[in-house]
Amino acid sequence: MGSPTDEFFASLEERGPELLPTRARGTIRFDLVEDGRVGHWFVAINRGNVLVSHEKRAADCVVSTEKRLFDEFATGAAHLITAYNRNDVSVQGNLPLLLVFRRTFPSPPGTRDPRERVRARLGGRTGPGRLRTRSPARMERQETQQ
Amino acid sequence: MKRLVSILDGNTFVVSDNRGDIDPSPTFPTGLFSYDTRFLSKWELRVNGERLNPLSVDDLQYFESQFFLVPGEPTHYVDAKLSIIRHRTICGSFMEVLTILNHEDQPVELTVQLDVESDFADLFEIKDVKGKLGTTTATVDENQLRLCYQRETYRRETVITSSAPAEYRPEGLLFNLRIDAHGQWETQILVETLVEGAGGRDIRINLQRHHGRSRDEMRRELDEWLARAPKLTSDCEPLEETYQRSLVDLAALRYTPLATGDRLPTAGLPWFMTLFGRDSIITCLQTLPFTPELTAPTLRYLAMAQGVHLDDFRDQEPGKILHETRYGESTAFEEQPHSPYYGSADSTALFLILLDEYERWSGDTALVAELEHQARAALNWIDRYGDLMGNGYVWFERRNLRNGLENQCWKDSWDSISYSSGRLPDFPRATCELQGYAYDAKMRGARLARLVWGDPLYADRLEREAAELKQRFNRDFWVEKGEYYALALDTEGGQVDALSSNMGHLLWSGIVDEDRAPKVAEHLVGPRLFSGWGVRTLAVGEGRYNPIGYHVGTVWPFDNSLIAWGLRRYGFREEAGRIAEAMIDAAKYFDGRLPEAFAGYDRSLTKYPVQYPTACNPQAWSTGTPMLLIRTLLGLEPHGEHLMVDPAMPEGMGRIEVLDIPGRWGLIDAFGRGRAEHRGAARRGTD
Repeated sequence: MGSPTDEFFASLEERGPELLPTRARGTIRFDLVEDGRVGHWFVAINRGNVLVSHEKRAADCVVSTEKRLFDEFATGAAHLITAYNRNDVSVQGNLPLLLVFRRTFPSPPGTRDPRERVRARLGGRTGPGRLRTRSPARMERQETQQ
Repeated sequence: MKRLVSILDGNTFVVSDNRGDIDPSPTFPTGLFSYDTRFLSKWELRVNGERLNPLSVDDLQYFESQFFLVPGEPTHYVDAKLSIIRHRTICGSFMEVLTILNHEDQPVELTVQLDVESDFADLFEIKDVKGKLGTTTATVDENQLRLCYQRETYRRETVITSSAPAEYRPEGLLFNLRIDAHGQWETQILVETLVEGAGGRDIRINLQRHHGRSRDEMRRELDEWLARAPKLTSDCEPLEETYQRSLVDLAALRYTPLATGDRLPTAGLPWFMTLFGRDSIITCLQTLPFTPELTAPTLRYLAMAQGVHLDDFRDQEPGKILHETRYGESTAFEEQPHSPYYGSADSTALFLILLDEYERWSGDTALVAELEHQARAALNWIDRYGDLMGNGYVWFERRNLRNGLENQCWKDSWDSISYSSGRLPDFPRATCELQGYAYDAKMRGARLARLVWGDPLYADRLEREAAELKQRFNRDFWVEKGEYYALALDTEGGQVDALSSNMGHLLWSGIVDEDRAPKVAEHLVGPRLFSGWGVRTLAVGEGRYNPIGYHVGTVWPFDNSLIAWGLRRYGFREEAGRIAEAMIDAAKYFDGRLPEAFAGYDRSLTKYPVQYPTACNPQAWSTGTPMLLIRTLLGLEPHGEHLMVDPAMPEGMGRIEVLDIPGRWGLIDAFGRGRAEHRGAARRGTD
């Protein structure tokens, strides 16, 4: 397999339906610049189905950026919205559609499930039925009785 | 502090002193701001080298003000030979019409100097404008001054032009004038703010509303907004005043986010002129009966920006509804997490509550169907990532330790959640109102699943889970000794037992057991919580109680509006009326504009409500407060295709009449009278 971008688009048809709202619909074209050449990725989203091609077709939303940066989106290392706010990504057309498409990018590398982090730290206190309800007043009473 | 004058159009606003000047201030956001960036930090007018003095300031509209000025200090003020009028508007851009009148019977020669600077500070930097990493340049062209900030590809620009000939210099504009006897001179100075995207195009170019609208269009828009709203007449003048004020302020607080053309409520001037999940949702809940047009775009936007990843920096999880979104430099370069930031544990449940409440009023099942995917994701979040401890409650603990919020509930200051002793609990924390919202969200989600999504099995499951949560909650949070609900649970399952206003939200959510509600109501209007002006955030006698502490003793109008609504839900009509009356009384002292918060001093001590020192004004959910109070007083409740009206008003309040309340019924009028036994009447109006 090639770059993270290639892998991202190669798996998109399979991953897309699970990640995108069932009602999402529209086309996005990514124009990715590398070594002075522009590579095109055309994504058609239609009620859960995703089709990816290299066509240079008119789209509802056209996103232009450097291939190098898109590689980082594809691994979760860079963030689409901040890149847009920095003007590292330019968008023409339907911006809300791109925000929907954002769902297909991965989390930042190395991110752990927050519940696991809490479990790892608090261990036995977590989980169902683990609560021992005590009011501080009752705790104090118990302590003085001991 | 000098009186500050603000005008605004969504998240573009100017804050100046009462001369119309902007002096750089490190403590308060004075200047011209747009999309969280300061585009002017200095704007000082001098005539013949002298600063001017104000005779009067007219606040004409929220987007328009006028300053009448004369040269010279008042100490040596004799008879002014000149008048200077600065008339300014914010209509996408900032426009100042400068007029100078010569009152002498001979011509005068004048030097008029306007000093201009921009530091392009991010709103987050105002209190500490550190060494900026980009560079600012001032470029003088033949007929404009351009101030430009550039950091890598990030670029912001302020462009200043004058209609009358001017000498443009890097530090401002200079006019050498000769005005005839009894003559006048005028120029229009336009300040445009550019947020540049690809190829130097403004990234807001797609936003129709961003294009400068004329003052007339702005006025017409405001008139139409006011005309669409229900008409209120009342014997209670302060209520009329605060209702009118609120309608105008709500219009002012609408802004257009970058991604859509819709208008959403921001949270408050000057610090919070952006979309907050919690504030915007609560504002919509408060105002649904009066200005329902805010709600659908807010729901759509929040759904679009819903969390989809695990992201520690942004405290983001799949299904979570955002806390705050920003557009400034510090966000763009990931120094601040607001792109968007997701650090609130309540906005997700509140989103579901608003979606259901909206359908009950509007009958708009299409939107509920459109947002099914996002609504289910939000319901999943409550059980999955919301339940950090895996024991059936909603908890919060930030993962962004640098600048994430410690307390991810509405009381989001660091010391707001404490034991009665004043000690602070460990994290994660499960505050009580979060459980109430989760309960309500499940109940409402069940209704929508049955009504719109055609999934009765899911509805049954949600109701079962809600019932279990209610039972669990009433077992674990009830403080037997004091007979109230604990503020929170700690990680040991111990009760964080301070007596607080959070309990009032529980009534609104319906999670309170019927037999415990009377005790809760008694506490809320009892002397430890009720100041006479409203319910305090924290009760007198608690370790951290401070009548001027942000979330530990002050009175928050929005908090009180939800509490009054909750009291009404459980049938405490008199108590709800008492809170509503106190709020309306308080509004009198602020010209109808309830502030973010006021001090928790006892009413008998201060005689008037003391505004919290740095409170935001106007603030959206304070602006929405009078509307929810009116709903509560009149007992407005959608019931199928009808609007039920069941007024319960304090005796002294007289008559309230609200005409043309919009909803799935068309338009309906509601009446109430200040004697509880009188029943109101509803009649169906014409569309």
